[in-house]
Amino acid sequence: MNITRVMAIFEKDYKEFMRNMMLFTSVLIPMVLAAFFGRMDPEAGALPSELVIIIVGVVFTSVTFSGMMTMMAEENEKDTLRGLLQSPASILDLIAGKSLVIILMTVISLAASIFLIESDGFWSLENIAGLMLLGIFFLNLGIGIGLLVKSVATTSVYLIPIMFLFGFTPYIEFLVTEEDHIARQIAEYFPLYQNLYIYNGDGGAAEFLILLAWVAASLSIVLWAFKRRKSDG
Amino acid sequence: MIHVTDLKKTFGNEHALKGIDFEVGKGEVFGLLGPSGSGKTTTIKLLTGEFRPDGGDIEVNGTGSRHFGRTSYVRNLGILSDKSALYERLTVRDNLELFRKLYGAPKQVVDEVLDKVGLADEKDKRVSKLSKGMKQRVLLCKAVLHKPDVMFLDEPTSALDPTTTEKIHEMLEDLKGEGTTIMLTTHNMDEATRLCDRVAFLHEGVIKETGAPEVLRHKYKRNEVHLTYEDGGVRTVGRDEENSGLLRAALFDESVIDIRTDFPTLGEVFKKVTGKELV
Repeated sequence: MNITRVMAIFEKDYKEFMRNMMLFTSVLIPMVLAAFFGRMDPEAGALPSELVIIIVGVVFTSVTFSGMMTMMAEENEKDTLRGLLQSPASILDLIAGKSLVIILMTVISLAASIFLIESDGFWSLENIAGLMLLGIFFLNLGIGIGLLVKSVATTSVYLIPIMFLFGFTPYIEFLVTEEDHIARQIAEYFPLYQNLYIYNGDGGAAEFLILLAWVAASLSIVLWAFKRRKSDG
Repeated sequence: MIHVTDLKKTFGNEHALKGIDFEVGKGEVFGLLGPSGSGKTTTIKLLTGEFRPDGGDIEVNGTGSRHFGRTSYVRNLGILSDKSALYERLTVRDNLELFRKLYGAPKQVVDEVLDKVGLADEKDKRVSKLSKGMKQRVLLCKAVLHKPDVMFLDEPTSALDPTTTEKIHEMLEDLKGEGTTIMLTTHNMDEATRLCDRVAFLHEGVIKETGAPEVLRHKYKRNEVHLTYEDGGVRTVGRDEENSGLLRAALFDESVIDIRTDFPTLGEVFKKVTGKELV
């Protein structure tokens, strides 16, 4: 990996991100949602932690995951990836440059959304550590699927299930009211639930280990996607 | 500079290249000519490391095909293919700046190459606002801004207007003058005749003939001489022993105003060699 090349790709992708309406609005969606939730009922006090975490989930799916996947897919679709790979830039330079843009946009979207819902105690060290692991998980998913999809249109096939499963996981409590239901028991092992526990102050080593396991699983998707892409030519 | 020996490539049951051999010397412009599907693009993709060969050896600029992925190899290549693309939302300058930084080229090269192709005034325009010909010129700038030792050009002027084609030919002639080794594929015979030091006819995965365009045209010329008379009449006679007296006499015959041997075009030579039209 070469830092000059990473920064060149970062600069290019930053400009592309700002001029791509689809990507640019994805940063605003969580903020709009946060502004809406934050002003729903001023007398009810603080927003329930489930809703705070769902906003976090929306940030990570619509900005981190979707943004990364779309940027990779667009390079594939428009044949610009070929030009980059025929240059001295490696695929790692490319991913690192794009990841920096996505991380920047995720931080902006998340910080603004949390500011708008006026959530106290959100920026604790434990919560930040949990959010970093969640961010790596979604970034890996975006890279892995982005390496495989050939067009921007195909990304929506992946976006909807990923958003539903990993971005809105606590929503299951509204859909399945029975507490001991197997679906709810399974959902409690999903990454966003670990962040919910950590945010509520109930997080311990177990929650971090589960998040790490999800990060490892997402990393294996990236490695598999790399292998598959290599064998595709 | 480029050595290709018994190069083979197969896609499923289709033999795209059936063992081709050729060499390109330093500073030479070599044209690979053939109709669509003859294996030209496959050859370029093998030489640039996009495909791996199924047999044979390739060496470009001292690097074997096993090491085509190395930065030191790609740093010295300029590639312009029919699939080359630009970032449409970015300006011409942004596009070229990206590749300048990736190759570690000096800052001034962007303005220099844009000046050469006559696009200096368009540098702050978004690529999406440019015509197809302008985009092709920017792509050529992208391929040359790091001053590569070897250039691979796949159909560089395909479907372009005559003005853009002329600009690109001028730039390629400049590169040739600077000693850049250029390998290009084309089915434009005028382009091959003008630019190439040598050409190879690729047909159904096999090289059928190689040589300098003028040498090939001479080798496959029609054995006929056209005599034009002052009254406008034209007489065509065979250039053989039987007509030697007549031809000698024509040299001193004042009524003969023109004596001409017809050289075939490169396209006609291709047809003679392969039995197929070059389309």
